[in-house]
Amino acid sequence: MNEAGFSIEINGKSYSAKPGQTILDVARAGDLFIPGLCYTPDLGSIQTCDTCYVNAGGELVRSCVTKAAPGMVVDTESELVQEAQYEGMSRILKNHELYCTVCDNNNGNCTVHNTVEHMGLAHQKYPFEAKPYAPDNSHPFYRYEPDQCILCGRCVEACQDLQVNETLTIDWSRKVPRVIWDNDVPIDQSSCVSCGHCVNVCPCNALMEKSMLGEAGYLTAIPPKVLGPMIDMTKEVEPGYKEIFAISEVEAAMRKSRIKRTKTVCTYCGVGCSFEVWTKNREILKIQPLEEAPANGISTCVKGKWGWDYVNNEDRLTKPLIRKGDEFVEATWDEALDLIAEKLGGVKEKYGADSIGYIASSKCSNEENYLFQKFARGIMGTNNIDNCSRYCQSPATAGLMRTVGLGGDAGTIHDISSAELVIVIGANPAESHPVLATRVKRAHKLHGQKLIVADLRGNELAERADLFIHPKPSTDLIWINAVTKYILDMGWEDKKFLQNRVNGMDEYVKSLEKFTLAYAEEKTGLPQEILIRIATMIHEANSVCALWAMGITQHQGATDASTAISNLLLITGNYGRTGTGAYPLRGHNNVQGACDFGTMPAWFPGYEPVQDPKVRERYEKAWGTTIPSEPGHDNHHMVEAMHEDKLKALYLFGEEMALVDANSNFVQSAFEGLEFFVVQDIFFSKTAQYADVVLPAAPSLEKDGTFVNTERRIQRFYKVLEPLGDSKPDWEIFQLIANRFGANWNYKHPSEIMDEAASLAPLFAGVSYERLEGFKSLVWPVSADGKDTPLLYTEKFAFPDGKAKLVPVDWTPPFEAGDDYDLHLNNGRILEHFHEGNMTYRNEGLTHKVPEVWLEVSLELAKERNLEDGSLVGLTSPYGYVEVKVVVTDRVKGKELYLPMNTREDNEAVNYLTSSYHDYITHTPAYKEMGVKMEVLEQKGEPPLPKHNHRFGNRVPQISVKVEEKWNRSDFTPIHEMVKEDEHGTGDQANQKRSS
Amino acid sequence: MAQAIRQIKKEVPNQQEEQAQASAEIMKELTENKEAVMASIQLMKGLHEMGIYDALRGMLDNRTEVGAIAIQQMNQPMMHNVIKNGMNGVKFLGSLPSGETEKLIGGIGLGLKKMSEAGQKEESQSLWKMRKKLGSPEMKASIAAMAAFMEGMGTAFAQSPHKEQDRKG
Repeated sequence: MNEAGFSIEINGKSYSAKPGQTILDVARAGDLFIPGLCYTPDLGSIQTCDTCYVNAGGELVRSCVTKAAPGMVVDTESELVQEAQYEGMSRILKNHELYCTVCDNNNGNCTVHNTVEHMGLAHQKYPFEAKPYAPDNSHPFYRYEPDQCILCGRCVEACQDLQVNETLTIDWSRKVPRVIWDNDVPIDQSSCVSCGHCVNVCPCNALMEKSMLGEAGYLTAIPPKVLGPMIDMTKEVEPGYKEIFAISEVEAAMRKSRIKRTKTVCTYCGVGCSFEVWTKNREILKIQPLEEAPANGISTCVKGKWGWDYVNNEDRLTKPLIRKGDEFVEATWDEALDLIAEKLGGVKEKYGADSIGYIASSKCSNEENYLFQKFARGIMGTNNIDNCSRYCQSPATAGLMRTVGLGGDAGTIHDISSAELVIVIGANPAESHPVLATRVKRAHKLHGQKLIVADLRGNELAERADLFIHPKPSTDLIWINAVTKYILDMGWEDKKFLQNRVNGMDEYVKSLEKFTLAYAEEKTGLPQEILIRIATMIHEANSVCALWAMGITQHQGATDASTAISNLLLITGNYGRTGTGAYPLRGHNNVQGACDFGTMPAWFPGYEPVQDPKVRERYEKAWGTTIPSEPGHDNHHMVEAMHEDKLKALYLFGEEMALVDANSNFVQSAFEGLEFFVVQDIFFSKTAQYADVVLPAAPSLEKDGTFVNTERRIQRFYKVLEPLGDSKPDWEIFQLIANRFGANWNYKHPSEIMDEAASLAPLFAGVSYERLEGFKSLVWPVSADGKDTPLLYTEKFAFPDGKAKLVPVDWTPPFEAGDDYDLHLNNGRILEHFHEGNMTYRNEGLTHKVPEVWLEVSLELAKERNLEDGSLVGLTSPYGYVEVKVVVTDRVKGKELYLPMNTREDNEAVNYLTSSYHDYITHTPAYKEMGVKMEVLEQKGEPPLPKHNHRFGNRVPQISVKVEEKWNRSDFTPIHEMVKEDEHGTGDQANQKRSS
Repeated sequence: MAQAIRQIKKEVPNQQEEQAQASAEIMKELTENKEAVMASIQLMKGLHEMGIYDALRGMLDNRTEVGAIAIQQMNQPMMHNVIKNGMNGVKFLGSLPSGETEKLIGGIGLGLKKMSEAGQKEESQSLWKMRKKLGSPEMKASIAAMAAFMEGMGTAFAQSPHKEQDRKG
């Protein structure tokens, strides 16, 4: 076969094809219509709809599975083919009542509608038959209407093999088949994680967002009493589908004037899913992902798909607030800005520029972060600026910068999904980066990808892994170094790669001496044969990706552990090729971008040091100001400086620092000592309670901008709604304040800010809004001509000599709270809520699924302490106390506890327990190193996790939709057999057989 | 020292001010569109006197019930026929080739003219004269056209009702 491509003939015309493409792929690429309801590029062939029949070489075949071959002759137009396609579509319509004009899915993108219309079908061959099942309205976000379900299985395919949650199946064994959840339970009580994949891919209105029902159409809110006879009448008088479609198309076109579709980028994690938001006035009708979305395609997760109504929540801040005595009083913008200018100016004048700190937001845009650091450095004259990557990702960035040169993921999600082996260390992507996790789960399930998971908890990926290891807490560096040493001892290292592309080999090899298998076994508790197995799996894989997150980075030796991972990848030559590399999973939507665009004490945008006079000069010239030469305080330093009374004022935006920074009591008492504190947010947060001025900001849906996701991918988001009340986009607020200090800025649109940043930071030289239009994206570095770099280090590493560095690292023992504190406290996220929950607890459906936080306790500990689901316990650490309800689960083992961070309640938030100990290099708090003691307050109580949470569901794994079971049904006649029989005059018989 | 506080004193919107602003906006629109407004008021007055508003209000208040009755009335065989005939009529007009229609209408016009001329002359008609006229090219063309039309119509009549049923499914 010609790898470069070949051509096939369809209907007498030549079409170019590539090896592996199906006839349907070739036709669609060449703009030739072949029907096909079950096939989508993201899901592949399902073979249920039987509408894509073509004649290839004299045989009727399904074009969605038949591969194009050189010289192939295909016909899609002959009577035989038309008859087969017509039969396929007619069988579909037996399952689906066409009442498009009064259907909420009549928005121009209904696959069933468009296919019937395109095929020119005039009438229904087999009368529609209702199914004997009621609609399932149990789930808070979507409903299933069996009567409209065409049984194409797209939803099942998406659930089984793309999301890989394995909840949906079609029960082909019933008299009337239908989609079922788990073992046929109401949707709300199933293992459904509410990711929305099934709804996203449904080709009709069988699965629909509840927020669309009765809202999308002009006539769809009609009560059933009127609607029923209306549908009957329409069917009675309709001369054919053509006329019906004419009306429904007019109606669909009318909808365009009131339903706005706007592209946005999700803000719930670092994966960077992009999709369209459908709105009617301020109402959010739905989130619809599209295949062209670079990171996620048609995928979403529970928060990205459903969690947006907080923008209209009545608790939104809509006016500036000024502290007066014991209360906040609403103020005008002028009053607030005047006060800020007076007070911040006063502090600066009295105590100096470095007496003020600036905390930026990883939830806000690149442009806003750029402008904020410009304000701090250029206008206010200090480098005291940092963002919340300090709480999570700085050690990973530092570990990568010292080994391979750039603080970002080595490749893209495409590389992760195409790796032969994925190693996940201290991360729970299935809950924290759900859509990225789907790519690993899919590759593992369908394409033979191997998976190693190292974690304290048996999270979902751990359950699915080929090898799940549970090292003792805080010992990852040891087993990683030991595995690396074993690989070297066995001579399995990539010698050529090391020789040509890596420095520091000798010193590094020497540093590994103490990391013998025996030492590792003793320290980590992992048996030596397991370590050998890990080394062997890495050795046997041609491409390895390592993914990690807070389980690595929130320790005192976090930068070193990150470095150890990078070292291992270098030793085995796993950089610079498809399917290889290091992937610290960025937690927030714009952690990467906030760092990239300079809200860090030592770096200008694009990771150029503030200490470099040439770089400083470039910025000083462009900004027309002077910039201090020494790096400023990071978050950790700022809190310390507040306690030392050196930092007098703080300006913070989009960060719930009072609950999210470690050792909350310490942080909050620091806030109490500030002379002046400005907090800018969309809600009145815990942090805002300490402010002197609270400024109402606008969330991502109310402004334009760009984010950088974990892949280093820069993507645009567009304004969907006007800012609520008097709230303003953060960049506008910065400009107003800067101008109060005489900056004289005049940015009219964020694109102008990006243009300025791109002109100054070589890493983003070619970035512009034009190049990011719609779903287009750029993965940095971006050269001036607009060429981006999805895969790093293909030719050289980001050091002057182009070579990577092996950096010797040693183990830092974790903080020990003392013998009294006998339980290990682990913490992190859960799927349903974001961060402390200021946005997601305001969503009714999400709160229905998870109403409150819980403490995970092992079966062993529950037995020992007589605990059960709902028991109330008090946890005490040397730093604070919380009270939480227990969930007993085998996800945690022995004396290890897991307390999710997702609560806004003072007596529950995990960071009242954590300490101010930190990574010795980057000052990232060691959140994961804490011991606590437990007292049982109430032995019995209402369980915190309701039974209708997916964690209690029962998955039903299978590959795809099991279409063979459909084909084996006694009432199924294969269409290619039937229409052939038809040629011989036996069609009626076949008809009867099918409809009997 | 700034202790954490939760109390927010919200400015309660001043009702009087809001009302004053709203009525100023309304007055502005009214005075700018005086004539249209006055005409509308006259119209409204008339409708009100007729009791139309009361009826409309009754319908609006009970719109689901009224709608259900209305749609039930519409959803009757008679009404189906009205709608179907209406649609067929439109379809029929659409199917006519416009050039031919023009010719036909022209022909009908000329025919009517000729007819009225013949009536005015009050000539006595005899079978012989009429038979002689049949031989003229005009008469032949008209009769041939009639015959062709009837043949076409007959084709539709002769089609089996079974086949039509089959098409409808």
